[in-house]
Amino acid sequence: MPESSEESAPPVVETSLVYAHGLAAFVALLISACFGFWAAAELVVPQLAGSSPWLTWGRLRYDHTQGIMLGWLGNAFFAFLYHAVPVLTGRSVTNLKLGQWLFGLWNFIVVIPGWILVLAGFSQPLEWAEFPLVIDGFVVLALLLAAIQFLPPFFSRGLEDLYVSSWYIIGGLVFTLLAYPMGNFVPELLPGARGAAFSGLWIHDAVGLFVTPLALAIIYFVIPASTRRPIYSHFLSMLGFWLLFFLYPLNGTHHYVFSVIPMSAQIGAITASTLLGVDVVIVVTNLFLSLRGTGWFPRDPGLRFVSTGTMFYLVVSLQGSLQAQMSINQSVHFSDWVIGHSHMAMLGFASFAALGGLVHAWQRIPWASYQAGMINTGYWLLLSGVIVMVVDLTIAGLVQASSWKSGAPWLDSVRASQPYWAIRIFTFLPIAAGFFMVMAGLFAGKPGAGLKAIRDTVGPEPVAEIAPRFATGGQA
Amino acid sequence: MRRVLRMSYLVAGLGGIGFFGMSMLLLGVWPGRTLEEQIRRTQPAYPLPPTASEQRGRRIYSREGCAYCHTQQIRYVGSDFKRFGKATLAWETIFDFPHLWGTRRIGPDLSREAGIRSSDWQLSHLYAPQALVADSVMPAFPWLFDGAPNRPRQEARDLLDYLDTLGRNRALAGPEADVHARDAMDCSADERRYAFGKGELNASPAMARRSGEFPLLPRVKTQPAGQDVYARNCAGCHGARGEGNGKGADGLSPKPTNFTEQEYSQTRLSQALWHGVAGSAMPAWRDVSRPDLAAVAQVVRSFSATQAEPQIPPPVLELGASVYKARCAQCHGATGGGDGTAAGQFPIAPTNFRTQRPSLAASLRTVRNGIEGSPMAPWTNELREDEINAVAYYVRTFYTGDVR
Ligand code: HEC
Ligand code: HEC
Ligand code: HEC
Repeated sequence: MPESSEESAPPVVETSLVYAHGLAAFVALLISACFGFWAAAELVVPQLAGSSPWLTWGRLRYDHTQGIMLGWLGNAFFAFLYHAVPVLTGRSVTNLKLGQWLFGLWNFIVVIPGWILVLAGFSQPLEWAEFPLVIDGFVVLALLLAAIQFLPPFFSRGLEDLYVSSWYIIGGLVFTLLAYPMGNFVPELLPGARGAAFSGLWIHDAVGLFVTPLALAIIYFVIPASTRRPIYSHFLSMLGFWLLFFLYPLNGTHHYVFSVIPMSAQIGAITASTLLGVDVVIVVTNLFLSLRGTGWFPRDPGLRFVSTGTMFYLVVSLQGSLQAQMSINQSVHFSDWVIGHSHMAMLGFASFAALGGLVHAWQRIPWASYQAGMINTGYWLLLSGVIVMVVDLTIAGLVQASSWKSGAPWLDSVRASQPYWAIRIFTFLPIAAGFFMVMAGLFAGKPGAGLKAIRDTVGPEPVAEIAPRFATGGQA
Repeated sequence: MRRVLRMSYLVAGLGGIGFFGMSMLLLGVWPGRTLEEQIRRTQPAYPLPPTASEQRGRRIYSREGCAYCHTQQIRYVGSDFKRFGKATLAWETIFDFPHLWGTRRIGPDLSREAGIRSSDWQLSHLYAPQALVADSVMPAFPWLFDGAPNRPRQEARDLLDYLDTLGRNRALAGPEADVHARDAMDCSADERRYAFGKGELNASPAMARRSGEFPLLPRVKTQPAGQDVYARNCAGCHGARGEGNGKGADGLSPKPTNFTEQEYSQTRLSQALWHGVAGSAMPAWRDVSRPDLAAVAQVVRSFSATQAEPQIPPPVLELGASVYKARCAQCHGATGGGDGTAAGQFPIAPTNFRTQRPSLAASLRTVRNGIEGSPMAPWTNELREDEINAVAYYVRTFYTGDVR
C-alpha cells in the first residue's frame, strides 16, 4: 500500500449526493413497482386498464422495466459510487456541481420524462430500450458525465493496486457507455433479423455489463468493509472479473435460440452461457469464502442484503446457463419461466445488492437517519416476496410450456396461467412493503443512528483502517 | 516492477475493450453479414414494401407493446412449426425497422396473421377482445375507435392494414419462391425441414377455409362439456342462447348466425366447425378436440326451434322453382348445393340448402332484406311479393339432412 502524504487527507464523500440518489432510487423503485403491479393485475382483470391509453398494459410494461433499470438501479448505483469511489481510491469524485447536474439529468431529463413519454405513446419496442430515442441521447450523455465523475479518481491513482470493485466499476461504466447505443440505436437502422442480432446483445449487456458489474462491485465492496477482513482471494476475484467481461457480451444471442440468426452464432452464445455458469461459480465461491463465519443471515443489514444477493446471483446464473441449453430453451422460452428468471436477477440479485450498498453507505453518513429494525423487517418481507414470486412464475412457465407443446388451443395456456398470475399480483404486497420498510428505516430513524450502531457493535472505523481492506497486495 | 504491472493492466484494459468489440463482431456484425448474404440469395424478386398506412400501423403496434405479448418469429422447432407454420426466413424481416420479434408469448405468434381473421373480427377484437374471446387477457384499444367497433378511426385502420402485412410477402411469393430459397439457403437439415418442410405455410387452426376435407363429427347426446365449450368459445358472438346476439356481435358483418332459426345436418356443422366460414368472422376450430367439437355441435343443434312444417300448394312451389332457377341458381346451385356457376366469385360461399335449412321466417327475411356484409342481396326491388314468398318456401325443400 503506497502511502504518500497527500493520500492521508481523508477524501470527501459527497454525502448529499449519496442521499439524493438514494432517495430518488427509492421513489423510482416504488413507482416502477406500481407499474409492474398494475400490469400484473391487468393480466387477471384486463378491464383495469379502463379505456385510457395511458394505462394500457404495454405502456405500463415498458415503464416498469425502464424504471427499475434506470430509475431504481441507476440511482442506487450512483448513490453507492459516491460512497465507494472515494473510499476505494482515496480521492474525491471529480466535482460536486457535476454531480448535481448528473442527478438532475438522470432523474428530471431521463427517468421522469421517459416514463411520461412512454405513457403518452412515444417509445421504442425494444427490450431494455423502451424509452424513446430522444431520451436515449440523454442517457448516453448522462453515462458520459458519470464516467467523467467517477473514473478519474481511479486513473489518477494508477491502476496497479486496484481492488476488484474498482475494476467492476470501471468496467461497468465504460462498457455500458459502449453498449447502450448498440442496443438502442442500431436496431432502428438495421432491419429485422440483422437488427435483432444486436438487440439480443443489448438485452444481455444491459444486465451483464451495467447491472451485474455494478452489483458485484457493491458485493465485493461491502463484504470486506463490513466483515473487516480482506476478500478471500484476489486472484479468484480478478479471474472472475476478466472471465465475466469476456463471456457476458458473448451471451446475447441466447435470447434468440432457434431463430434465423446463423446457428453458429447461436451455438457460440450457448457455449458462452455455459462457461458463464462456471465463471459465476468461481466468483461466488470466492464471495462465500470471504463471508465465512458470518452465517446465513449476517447481523449487519448491509452485509445481509449483499450476502443474500450473492446467493440469488449463483442460482440465477446457473438457471441462466441451463435455460440457454437448446433442449430446455425449446420449451420454456417465451413463457413466464423467463419472467421468473429476470425477477430473480433484477429483484433477487441486483436489488438486494443495491439495497446492501445503499444501507452500507447510508450508515456511514453522519447525519442520516437509520433504524435497523425496519430494515430487517423489510429484508424478510422482500426475501419471502421474491421467493414466492420466482417459484410461482417458474411453475407458471412450465405449465405454459407443456400446454403449448400439447397442441391444445392457445387459450388453454392463458386459462391455466390465471392462478399463477393471481398469486403473482399478491407478491406485490410483501415486496412493496419490504422496500417501503427499508426506505422507512433509512429516512425515518434517528439521525446518526447508523454510525452509532457501527461503533456500538464492532467499534469505530478509522479511515486509516478502511483502505487496507481493499488492498490487493500481500494476501491476508 | 510497477511499470510492468502498469503495462499489464493497460494491456488488460485494452483487451477488455477488445473483448467487447469482438462480441459485437462475432455476434452482431458477422451474423449480420451472413444474414445479408442469405437474404440476397433467398429473397423473392419483388417483396412488397409496406405502404404509408401499414407503416403507421406498425408504429401503433410498437407503441402499444403488442410485441411484448406476441412474438413475430416462428422458431425452427417442431411445436412452432405445427402451431404456426413454416419458420420465419431472414428475408421476411427486411422491412422491419426495428424488428418486433419479441421474447414472450402471452398471446400467439403473429408472424402469419394476415389471412387468418376477417377484418370485422380484427376490429371488434381490438375494440374489446373479451367480447369475442371470453377468456382473453388482451388489452382493449378503444381509443383507436369512435365509440364502436365498426367505427374505426384512421389509427385502427392503419393497425389493421399492418396486421394484414404479417406473413403476406411469403404467402404472395408462393411455393416457387420457397423452392428457390430452399435451394439457396445454407442451413442444417432440421432447419430446412422447419422452414420448408411438408406442412402449411400458415398452420393457424383458426384460419377459415372455403373448402377441403373435414372430419364428420359423431352425433352425441347433450352434455355439460359442450355447454362449457360453447360458453367459452361461441357465446361471445352467437349469444348465450344461440340467438346470434352475443356481446361481440355488434361490430360484425355478416352477423353471427341465429341458431334458433336454423336446422343443420351433421355434415354442415362438422364443416362449419372445422373450416369456419371463410369471408366472415366465424373462425375455424381445428385446435379444439374432436369430442369437444362433437359436443358443441350438439349444443348448436339444441338451440334450433323446430316447428311444424307448413303444407305448400304445388303452384306456389312451381313459381318458387322458376324464380329460383332464374334468380338464385347461379349462386346457390341448380339443386341448392351452394355450387352455382357464379358461386366461386364471391368472398362468402352461398348457402348450401341441402345441408342446412333456415326457418321459414328466416328464409323470408333473408330474401327480402339480404344479409348485410355478404353477397346475398335484398330482393324486394327485383321480385314481387308472391315470388318472394314462393322462392323462400322453395329453397327449404332442398334439405336432405345427412343423406349425402
Ligand atoms: C397482454 C398481452 C397482449 C397484448 C399487449 C396484446 N395482445 Fe393480442 N392477444 C393476446 C392474447 C392472450 C390473445 C389470444 C386470445 C385472443 O384472441 O384474444 C391475443 C390475440 C391476438 C390476435 C389474434 C391472433 C389469432 O389469430 O389467433 C391478434 C391479431 C392480436 N392479438 C393482435 C394484437 C395487437 C395488434 C396488439 C397491440 C395493439 C395486441 N394484440 C396486444 C394478448 C395480448
Ligand atoms: C367471432 C365471432 C364468432 C365466434 C366466436 C363463433 N362464431 Fe360461429 N359464426 C359467426 C358468424 C359471423 C357466422 C355467420 C357467417 C355467415 O354469415 O355465414 C357464424 C356462423 C356459424 C355457423 C353457421 C354456418 C352457417 O352456414 O349457417 C355455425 C354452425 C357456427 N357459427 C358455430 C359456431 C360455434 C359452434 C362456435 C364456437 C365454437 C362459433 N360459431 C363461434 C361468428 C362467430
Ligand atoms: C350473388 C349470389 C347469390 C344470389 C344470386 C343469391 N344468393 Fe342467397 N346467398 C348467397 C350467399 C353468399 C349467402 C350466404 C351468406 C352468408 O353466409 O352470410 C346466401 C344466403 C341465402 C339465404 C340464407 C340461408 C340461411 O341459412 O340463413 C337464403 C334464404 C338465400 N340466400 C336465398 C336466396 C334466394 C331465394 C335467392 C334468389 C332469389 C338467392 N339467395 C340469390 C348468395 C346469393
